[in-house]
Amino acid sequence: MNPLIFLMIMMTMLSGTIITMLSSHWFTAWMGLEMNMFAIIPIIIKNHHPRSIEAATKYFLTQATASMLLMLAIMLNFLLSGQWSIISTPSSFTSFILVTALIMKLGMAPFHFWLPEVTQGTHLSSGLLILTWQKLAPFSILYQISNHINPTLLMTSAFLSILIGGWGGLNQTQLRKILAYSSIAHMGWMAMILIYNPTLTLLNLLIYITLTLSAFMLLIINYSTSTSSLSLLWNKTPLISLALMAILLSMGGLPPLSGFIPKWLIMQELTKNLNAILPFLMATLALLNLYFYMRLIYSSSLTIFPSMNNMKIKWQFNNHNIYPGISPIMLLSTMILPLTPMYMSLF
Amino acid sequence: MLKYIIPTIMLIPLTWFSKNSMIWINSTIYSLLISLASLMLLDQPHDMGLNFSSLFFSDALSTPLLILTCWLLPLMLMASQHHLHPESLQRKKSYITMLILLQLFLIMTFAAAELILFYILFEATLIPTLIIITRWGNQTERLNAGLYFLFYTLIGSLPLLVALMWIQNSLGTLNFLIMQLWAQPLPHLWSSNFLWLACMMAFMVKMPLYGLHLWLPKAHVEAPIAGSMVLAAILLKLGGYGMLRISILLDPVTNHMAYPFLMLSLWGMVMTSSMLLRQTDLKSLIAYSSVSHMALVIIATLIQTPWSFMGATALMVAHGLTSSMLFCLANSNYERIHSRTMILARGLQVLLPLMSAWWLLASLTNLALPPTINLIGELFVVTSSFYWSNLTMILMGLNILITALYSLYMLITTQRGKFSHHITAIIPSYTRENTLMALHIIPLLLLTLNPKIILGITY
Amino acid sequence: MNILPMSSLLSLIILIIPITMTIFPKIYNPLKYPIYVKTATSYAFMTSLIPTTMFIHSNQEALISNWHWITIQSFKLSMSFKFDYFSLIFMSVALFVTWSIMEFSLWYMHSDPNINRFFKYLLLFLITMMILVTANNLLQLFIGWEGVGIMSFMLIGWWSGRTDANTAALQAVLYNRIGDIGFVLSMAWFMVHSNSWELQQIFITFPMENSLPLLGLILAATGKSAQFGLHPWLPAAMEGPTPVSALLHSSTMVVAGIFLLIRFHPILENNSTALTSILCIGAITTLFTALCALTQNDIKKIVAFSTSSQLGLMMVTIGINQPYLAFMHICTHAFFKAMLFLCSGSIIHSLNDEQDIRKMGGLYKSLPFTTTSLIVGSLALTGMPFLTGFYSKDLIIESATSSYTNAWALTITLIATSMTAVYSTRIIFFTLLGQPRSPSPIMINENNPALINSIKRLTIGSIFGGYLISMNLLPTSIPPMTMPPYIKYTALSITLIGFMLAMELNSLTYNLKFKYPAHQFKFSNMLGYYPSIMHRIPPLSLLTIGQKLATTILDLIWLEKAIPKNITSMNLMLSIKTSNQKGSIKLYFLSFFISLIMGLLISI
Repeated sequence: MNPLIFLMIMMTMLSGTIITMLSSHWFTAWMGLEMNMFAIIPIIIKNHHPRSIEAATKYFLTQATASMLLMLAIMLNFLLSGQWSIISTPSSFTSFILVTALIMKLGMAPFHFWLPEVTQGTHLSSGLLILTWQKLAPFSILYQISNHINPTLLMTSAFLSILIGGWGGLNQTQLRKILAYSSIAHMGWMAMILIYNPTLTLLNLLIYITLTLSAFMLLIINYSTSTSSLSLLWNKTPLISLALMAILLSMGGLPPLSGFIPKWLIMQELTKNLNAILPFLMATLALLNLYFYMRLIYSSSLTIFPSMNNMKIKWQFNNHNIYPGISPIMLLSTMILPLTPMYMSLF
Repeated sequence: MLKYIIPTIMLIPLTWFSKNSMIWINSTIYSLLISLASLMLLDQPHDMGLNFSSLFFSDALSTPLLILTCWLLPLMLMASQHHLHPESLQRKKSYITMLILLQLFLIMTFAAAELILFYILFEATLIPTLIIITRWGNQTERLNAGLYFLFYTLIGSLPLLVALMWIQNSLGTLNFLIMQLWAQPLPHLWSSNFLWLACMMAFMVKMPLYGLHLWLPKAHVEAPIAGSMVLAAILLKLGGYGMLRISILLDPVTNHMAYPFLMLSLWGMVMTSSMLLRQTDLKSLIAYSSVSHMALVIIATLIQTPWSFMGATALMVAHGLTSSMLFCLANSNYERIHSRTMILARGLQVLLPLMSAWWLLASLTNLALPPTINLIGELFVVTSSFYWSNLTMILMGLNILITALYSLYMLITTQRGKFSHHITAIIPSYTRENTLMALHIIPLLLLTLNPKIILGITY
Repeated sequence: MNILPMSSLLSLIILIIPITMTIFPKIYNPLKYPIYVKTATSYAFMTSLIPTTMFIHSNQEALISNWHWITIQSFKLSMSFKFDYFSLIFMSVALFVTWSIMEFSLWYMHSDPNINRFFKYLLLFLITMMILVTANNLLQLFIGWEGVGIMSFMLIGWWSGRTDANTAALQAVLYNRIGDIGFVLSMAWFMVHSNSWELQQIFITFPMENSLPLLGLILAATGKSAQFGLHPWLPAAMEGPTPVSALLHSSTMVVAGIFLLIRFHPILENNSTALTSILCIGAITTLFTALCALTQNDIKKIVAFSTSSQLGLMMVTIGINQPYLAFMHICTHAFFKAMLFLCSGSIIHSLNDEQDIRKMGGLYKSLPFTTTSLIVGSLALTGMPFLTGFYSKDLIIESATSSYTNAWALTITLIATSMTAVYSTRIIFFTLLGQPRSPSPIMINENNPALINSIKRLTIGSIFGGYLISMNLLPTSIPPMTMPPYIKYTALSITLIGFMLAMELNSLTYNLKFKYPAHQFKFSNMLGYYPSIMHRIPPLSLLTIGQKLATTILDLIWLEKAIPKNITSMNLMLSIKTSNQKGSIKLYFLSFFISLIMGLLISI
């Protein structure tokens, strides 16, 4: 792709999200979402391959549907309340449509089917964008209307997402699909707490993005896309295999890694609201995610895959793909649990 | 507490920057120094223990376990040298780093003054252990063993996290010291039973309670020597420690909730012991013997009398050293015979007489020969359970009997009998191995002189 | 400080010196080590005579409780020694016997490469035995109690290459452990109810009506002293070297159970349940093991069964409330039984490790000294007047016949007593008399000072020991002194009847043709079928339970299926159900639509 065009597309995508985040007007928010959606499609089909075109089509169709639903909700809201302001109180019907549209954009259950396939269809870096940056805008809207959301709807969807994210990932061998399912599960955790404490949602989102970012960065170095390709990491880049293990355990939410912070705080918040069974169930279901992360860890770090001798000496060649920013983000995504109080005061 | 934590952290650079030939020696010596320094904790002039900060404290219950933890690191390092001999330098260093990390987490776990901190560190110990088991284990079953280990513990401990948060909401604090003063009796509600279960289950899985013990033999058998040692010596004790600590919160509920678990432990104790008589695998035998011994600790903890608490604490420390020593012995056999099957190692007494003496001592302490601290622990537990109900004596007695039987069965099968010809060319035992065994048995014998220091808070 | 406890402790300390010597290579001379040990034991014996003499002279007792170990709440544990009638006398006797046996071992074990270790084991055993005897609290008693058990395990399994030796060693520990259950039970009971393990405090606070802890003690004694039910380990223990049998399994360790009951006599004497059970167990044991001894062919087994039978007799004595008599029998029995073992050791060693009495015979010519001692020992065992056994055994039978006791138990005991004579005669008859039946090229030589001196010393003990003890130490509970002549003569006449019967039978045996053994013979020769039943069915069922129930059904099937496998299969199914999407966008949108409509219908 022409760098200039790529730059423009990227700028559009970024500015779309920023517009949504900054707007207090429903229409501009919607417009930001649309800009963002249109800009990401060329990024998905950056490398021309039938898979990525299929992925782009699926992405476009679902996102457009979601946008239309959102538009419908905005119109209804305007009809019923006469206001375009986001902070206005929508009626229950409007809020239902709104939330449905946004969770469809986020790829939460039961509107999740597209997410693993779209992620699987694209390049790793585009998949990274879909799983991280694209979550920002919908969550910013959800954050703003969090007072008016029907809790039953959102929490049902969130719980379903945790379930699907757990079980779906168990059955996969492709890394991008696994990460997509893990994203679904994380979305579930974020949405679960949105009604009680939206700040925690943001914290979780931040940590989730850090984690996914570092995981993708590590995968991009060797362009690993399947479990079996991970098993060759140990002789190419032994340190990366170690780092990948830490990241994956952190994503699984094992203390004392960073991934435990949101799980801990969310469970605490839910328990504070006199609800002990739900956090217990959520935590147990998070073990499903941990299980498939463990499988990745086994194949990447904890076992030595039998290979031919000429494969075993690859570690001595320099690897140029390593991003300079990888070590700070690694630290951020594994070791910030002791800084939890600071994170809490950030928001 | 920092005077143990920071040196432990600094062991990692020490390992990585040591000369290639010195990595074992340096790390062993410095960790030994740390463990000697940890003896200072024994000086506790006040009843409430030593309060270092709002994060860390140590009292009569945690101090013996802390010292045991510090003591075990040099021993693990000594025991692993042969196992890691063929590995590359980087891997040796990362292995040592894992052991150090584990020790770091364990020190902080035992010293934690806050239950959530305790919980986080309790879980944190899983990661290095998991890596040690699955990365450096010997057979492919180690992967399964690692999963069992991780998921049994996690499923058991997640309700604990929720329960802790619940308690924090109702009580306002999770600090051990404040909790002792503020703890209210739990209300007589149906849900109190669930709270009890949630609090206890994590530790019961870790102990492990019979029925939830499947992970333990797998993990023990598959783990490399240091993994087996630390699992048997300390990680199981985390369960007992947690139960002893948290039981002040669960005051009246334990009285009736304890029954099924007491029964299960009594039953499981005898079951695992009788299973041991049919074991052919040396490591699995030692692992099951841990289950059987830990059942005693569970019983003691659930009975909740000062005597039983003392028995539980003493038994934990005693069993920690004994079973760790047994694993070392099993490993030294394994390094020579290349098999864990006991019958293949028979008659070793003729070839390795000094090792045979260590075997004898270890077996005898394992069967609680008086006046070892194993006996002190068992006797206190038996007495308190006898006080609780006279009928428990039947199962306890049966267990005493079978414990002696399997310990000696192990001794006879590995040391006595005619030796087979494939072992005539084995290497003699190293000074390192003999030192290792001596460093296990000496504390056991010395503690016999003054068992006061391991009797815990109720002493 | 008084000289009595000082010298008693000194004799204990003397025993420890050779053990610590091994740590210092400068003074440790491996070639002379056994002699050091022997000498140390003899010095300890000499030293122990001082307090014994003092006790005899001035009836002085001592109690030391100096090293405070721990105090747990109100429960104090300290190292405390008790030097009273029982411990002082027994220490001297045991040291004397051990001294002789050590000297004998010099000869018997001289070809063993590990003779130093053997002496260390013997010494360690002796130390634990001394701890047991002098203990004043239950924990210390238990230390000695378990210590002698483990040392017997080590010593029985001395020839570790032999499977039989290992099995016998394990058997000994197993039966002793069953007894230990009783001991632990009693310890727990005393801790709970008396809040002390000190003997005095237990005696003061013990409520008389309670027999549970007493039954525990009886169980402990049954295990240690090889009483009926837990007896098979004693004959099996004959797999060990003969000095071990002489020391542990005749004179010292096996009487520990009796000793325990004697120690606890102050609380036993008023409890009729306990006394009756002791009496019955003792009577059954003495008869049963005497029966078993009748048809054994292994010389050591016969002596072992006679030991068991004598232990039964001691139990009977305690059962009829005569602990002092029982204790006297312990002491006298130590002399002649140790000597019998040494004699049989001498015979066995001379005949090139032949233990079958059918292959001996005519040894009175080639082993005159051993023959003399063996006959003296056997006569002393049967209670021939004015030998050592007479002084205790006669009194026991007398007080049994003249007490208001269970006539059944009494009859049994009398029958067993007559059998003592029978099996003693059998040994004498088969090994010493008649024609030699051993292979001719064996060089028989008993002229070794180590052998001669040790047996000589014990022979003197077997002749005069009882006299000395009974003259110098009158038991405090005096047995009846007046009785009709027929009771007075019971013991003697019964023994004589036994002798005559045995002589007749043995003479007959020569002239009889081979006959298929009768059922009674099989019963006796197969040890009453007890080992064949008890050593097969319960272990087999326990092992089957261990394998089938504990390992297979519970661990490998139920627990594995119930938790991990069940969760796995459930999650596997759900995972396949949730993620079987085929990538068809139309169906996705259909599902989106359905979810939307359903959500709307439900929420609005």
